[in-house]
Amino acid sequence: MGLFTQSVDVECSTAGLPLRLRWQGREYRVAADPVRWFERRRWWAEEVRAERGRGPGLVDHEIWRLQVRLAGRGPLLTFEVSRDVETGRWRLIRIHDALLESA
Amino acid sequence: MSFIHLNVASAFSAHYGASWPQDLAHRAAAEGADALAATERDGLYGAVKHLKACRETGLDPILGVNLAVLGPAANTARHPVHAPRGRPRLQVQGRVIVLARGNCSGAGYRALCRLVSLAHEGTSAHRGAAGGKPVGVTHADLATCAVDPEEGTVLTVLLGPDSDVGQAALGRDPSRARSALGRWLARLGRAAVRVELVTHLNTPGERLSSAHAIRMLRAAQALDVPAVLTNAVRYADPDGAATADVLDSARALSSLETLTDLQPNGQGWLKSPGRMQALAREIAREAGEGALAAELLRATGALADWARMDPVSDAGWGIPVVPEASVIGITGRPDAELAARCEAGITRLLPRDAGSRALRDRLALELGTITDLGFSTYFLTVAEVSAMIADMGVRNAARGSGASSLVNFLLGISQVNPLAHDLLFERFLSRDRTTLPDIDIDVESAERHRVYEHIFERFGSQRVTLMSMQNGYRARGAVRDAGQALGMEDGDLDVIAKQLWRFSASNFREALEEKPELRPFAERMGAERQLDLLVDLTERLDRLPRHISMHPCGVILGDNTLLDRTPVQPSGLGLPMSQFDKHDMDPMGMLKLDVLGVRMQSAMAYAVSEVVRIHGDGEAVATAGAHPRGPGGALPEFLDADGAIALERVPLDDEPTYELIRTTDTLGCFQIESPGQRELIGKLAPREFNDLIIDISLFRPGPMQSNMVKPYLENRHGFAPENYPHSDLKPALAETHGVTVFHEQVLRIFDVMTGCGLAKADVYRRLLGNEQAEPRVEELYRARAMERGYPLGVIDEVWKTLKAFGSFGFCKAHGAAFAVPTYQSAWLKAHHPEAFLAGIWEHDPGMYPKRLLVAEARRMGIPILPLDINRSDASYRVERAQGLLPPATVPPVYRAPGTSRAGRLGIRLSLSGIHGVSGTEVKRVVAGQPYDSLDDVRDRSGLSRSSLRTFAALGAFDSLQQAAGRGNRADLMVHLAGRPTKTLAQRHRPITGQLPLPLGDVELGGLAVGAAEPSLEETVRTELDLMAVDVSGHLMSSHAPLLSKLGTTPAQDLLGLRNGTEVLVAGVRVATQTPPMRGGRRVVFISLDDGTGCVDCTFFHEAQQNSGPLLFATRLLLVHGLTRRTGPRGISLQALQAWDLADQDSLPAPGHLSNPDRVKETFTGLRGKSDKHDGGAQPLARRMEAEDLDHRGPGSVPEDWPEFDVG
Repeated sequence: MGLFTQSVDVECSTAGLPLRLRWQGREYRVAADPVRWFERRRWWAEEVRAERGRGPGLVDHEIWRLQVRLAGRGPLLTFEVSRDVETGRWRLIRIHDALLESA
Repeated sequence: MSFIHLNVASAFSAHYGASWPQDLAHRAAAEGADALAATERDGLYGAVKHLKACRETGLDPILGVNLAVLGPAANTARHPVHAPRGRPRLQVQGRVIVLARGNCSGAGYRALCRLVSLAHEGTSAHRGAAGGKPVGVTHADLATCAVDPEEGTVLTVLLGPDSDVGQAALGRDPSRARSALGRWLARLGRAAVRVELVTHLNTPGERLSSAHAIRMLRAAQALDVPAVLTNAVRYADPDGAATADVLDSARALSSLETLTDLQPNGQGWLKSPGRMQALAREIAREAGEGALAAELLRATGALADWARMDPVSDAGWGIPVVPEASVIGITGRPDAELAARCEAGITRLLPRDAGSRALRDRLALELGTITDLGFSTYFLTVAEVSAMIADMGVRNAARGSGASSLVNFLLGISQVNPLAHDLLFERFLSRDRTTLPDIDIDVESAERHRVYEHIFERFGSQRVTLMSMQNGYRARGAVRDAGQALGMEDGDLDVIAKQLWRFSASNFREALEEKPELRPFAERMGAERQLDLLVDLTERLDRLPRHISMHPCGVILGDNTLLDRTPVQPSGLGLPMSQFDKHDMDPMGMLKLDVLGVRMQSAMAYAVSEVVRIHGDGEAVATAGAHPRGPGGALPEFLDADGAIALERVPLDDEPTYELIRTTDTLGCFQIESPGQRELIGKLAPREFNDLIIDISLFRPGPMQSNMVKPYLENRHGFAPENYPHSDLKPALAETHGVTVFHEQVLRIFDVMTGCGLAKADVYRRLLGNEQAEPRVEELYRARAMERGYPLGVIDEVWKTLKAFGSFGFCKAHGAAFAVPTYQSAWLKAHHPEAFLAGIWEHDPGMYPKRLLVAEARRMGIPILPLDINRSDASYRVERAQGLLPPATVPPVYRAPGTSRAGRLGIRLSLSGIHGVSGTEVKRVVAGQPYDSLDDVRDRSGLSRSSLRTFAALGAFDSLQQAAGRGNRADLMVHLAGRPTKTLAQRHRPITGQLPLPLGDVELGGLAVGAAEPSLEETVRTELDLMAVDVSGHLMSSHAPLLSKLGTTPAQDLLGLRNGTEVLVAGVRVATQTPPMRGGRRVVFISLDDGTGCVDCTFFHEAQQNSGPLLFATRLLLVHGLTRRTGPRGISLQALQAWDLADQDSLPAPGHLSNPDRVKETFTGLRGKSDKHDGGAQPLARRMEAEDLDHRGPGSVPEDWPEFDVG
């Protein structure tokens, strides 16, 4: 399993569910129901400010586990991406082994 | 579709919830909810605030509680199953939410109150103390409370993720979860049990994940128990999550890094209906049951409907409840009884006015109002308490607006005759106010707990409970807990916390930029990034409740349903304490009596008892105190033949008392001893009681900040002509020379201008300063005043005054009630100074350290008699001076002419309050007096070895040594240091009445002598270390050589200097104040005592910058400044810079002031344009003018002014 913090583009449905993901110039399609959760951050160690009124995203971040296929056809891969609630940007944070082996 | 949150903890769940009830209610209402629950941890702490917030936002309130469930502990070696007293030891087995049913005539609310009280029964009031059971309920407690005999099930238990069912489900043990749920059903019945699903969308499979919720759902389905959905809310919006983290850390006393049970993420906020429905759908989808979402939401809505409350019919909102008439011994109609007692009061107190029209009209008005409001029983109840306290022999006096009522005066509750001081009943009570009025009773502080116990006995514990108060985070505590969360070093935090000087934590960041004493910290902020976080977290904690404690004076009295209306828990006193605070009393119709312990009352009671003890009878007291005698030499009316002085009967026109006050030598006197007050009385020069009332009323943040003081003083002394907007207002404003000072005057102005009547006028007054209501009042005022034909200019001018003063003017009745002990204490200081000071030392009522009052004794010419093993008692005692009297000198401090000469009476130091000597030791020493030898002391006094050495060091055995004729104090200390203790075992001690053989002082007789006598400086050092008081000489006397080199001016010489003279002064800090100031910039007042008197130094912004951290941290100070005349007898110092006297290297060089190279200082900003005065000034005015007295100074108000419930 690899750890990343790379920017990725994620395209979502109107209900906010991820459908497609573009990474390193390639497009992956979500191939199974995505799983979403909120993971705690050690904000007291990672942040320099925690001012009142800062809003969401300080204590936890939203993580999606996406099972995808390259161009909708490749082998099933598992990506974990996080979404920054403030900017709406997505980052790729984990790729499970299958891809690493294939890469 | 709406969603109703059933599990919500507000900030009143201390160290748990992060949002205020009103914020939660507003958020819920904004999201379209029509109801909201409050389920605080361990109690109903925020319940009344929640009811109020719901009323304001149009929500139906729901009440519940988040409680620990207790069960028998598992038997381990460390924790035996049985507690020492044989009860099974209980331990926490999880937490549940309990909701009360609504709309059932209060049966649900009642059960909730009783359940919460049960949860606290047998617990310890002190957090973390051993021995008490944990706060929580057993299954049996729940089963007992959940069912009402008439209404059936009135409580519902929600078994959520933290319950035993939820824990079993998390542990992937479906059968254990099912059997736990089965046990709940068996004990409480199906009607009272729900399974509560919560998902905070945590990592799949973890606590508070959707999977966790689904496993709980499976258990519910297996046993056919309805499941409901909540979000276990702890904050109103996502921003609160970080605050909740810090609160978790504070609760666990652990840093965030090491905390094991942090909330898994930040999803515990008050989510919108849309989000909650999405959560329901997510659970349904993952459970693979599409229909489940709707079912979950339906069951949640149904439970919410069951629990919706009507605050009035369920919780008694706004319905005043007083004790049953029978309890206070009334059989007839309370109204008739009250009238009869008032008649009796007239006969007793005002026999000459019995037929007076004014009195009759006033009485009729008051009784009419009280009868109409149905408050007769209330007044009779307060009278009963007041009489009960008097019967106990305890001094008591009403304070506050209660002094406005003639009925209170006639019933003996208040000592102020409102007719004599023009106090308005309408300010206290009227038909336009339906809440119970506040009557506050001051009692001797030393007797307060005994008074409480008597009230419980008298009314029965089912009708009485103590009120509580919420203690919120202030800067220091917030920094400590925020720092702990970040894992900062204790030492660092100590330094930071100590430097914080009483400002709100929310202003921390601005304070860092402003306050010089925080400068080093501010500089570090740049270097250490953690400090930025520290500031942010400190601001987050600001004002959040930390814990509740016993209110210092509130007692709640009710009928025998009181404990159905408020939950109670043990207080530090052992008596039960309500979970409601003072803000909850009015809404809940609770009768609160403020029984306030006032140290000055104890001090005065003690002084009076010393007067009797030392003089013996009335004749001697009258002579010693120079009290005026009646015809034929009769004793004055306030003085009994046995010498007892009835202070409340002392006439309020004693000239020497006012003379003392005018000298401003008022250290020790109630309310007028602070630097700012001494400055004000110096300017005001009170001549009569009403002047004292005005003085006390002016010395408030409002009048000080809005500069009411200056026009008042100028008019009073004739510097400026009195100005009345209209001659109709002259009667109302004449007593304060045209300046509006009192609420009573605001009422009269409204009445004169609009003809609204005084009762309505008080309603208008209360609306002043209220953003929404004030414009309506203004409109009405203008329209009515126009109708009555007042010119527009007058209407404008008067409105400006009303608008400015209405919101913070002072209730004259408060001032009058306060002026009584002020006058009484000054009377004692003028006539019986020794007894007065002994009382002050004994009960320590004031703002100053005791050593300043010892210095005051020196200035008063009163000998301070040293500690003596045979003569000292457990209290400070007045004692006749032995031997030859010192030569007659006139002490600097005024004493009434004709009183016995200064020096005839001294004050003997007390054995109590010596460092390291226990109360038990003191008791035994006193019981064993007198002692004839050191051996005798060893044998019978029970003093420990270290206490013996302490006593010797303080000279307590000097008299024994003199008798034995051998050695000095130092010899004895050497002797005691060397010799091991040889206290006789109990069985060898002589029994009472048995005389020891008269062997003389064997031990002292053999004492090795020759040690050098300790120097005065050493002796003073010892006294300060062991008694915190310098008795033998002043602390500063040892600095005399240094001071003379520096060329400092003694405090007593300042008064002779011209205004604006540049001086150096030095002394011991005795008081530091940072009063609220006009213009917003902080001013620091530091009072220094140099042995010749007190110098009050004012540090404005620049001087604070020049002095830095030592402003608050240093004990001995050298201050450079300019003298500032404040009145004929007042002078203070405008400081320019301060140094630490102990840090000799930092001090300016000798001859600093005369150094020609130095830039000379002049006043900064103090000299305004000199006012034009008309020529016809009165003598005092001319004198002040001639002396160029500055009375534009800001004065000061101590920050710790007692808080009045003026509204």
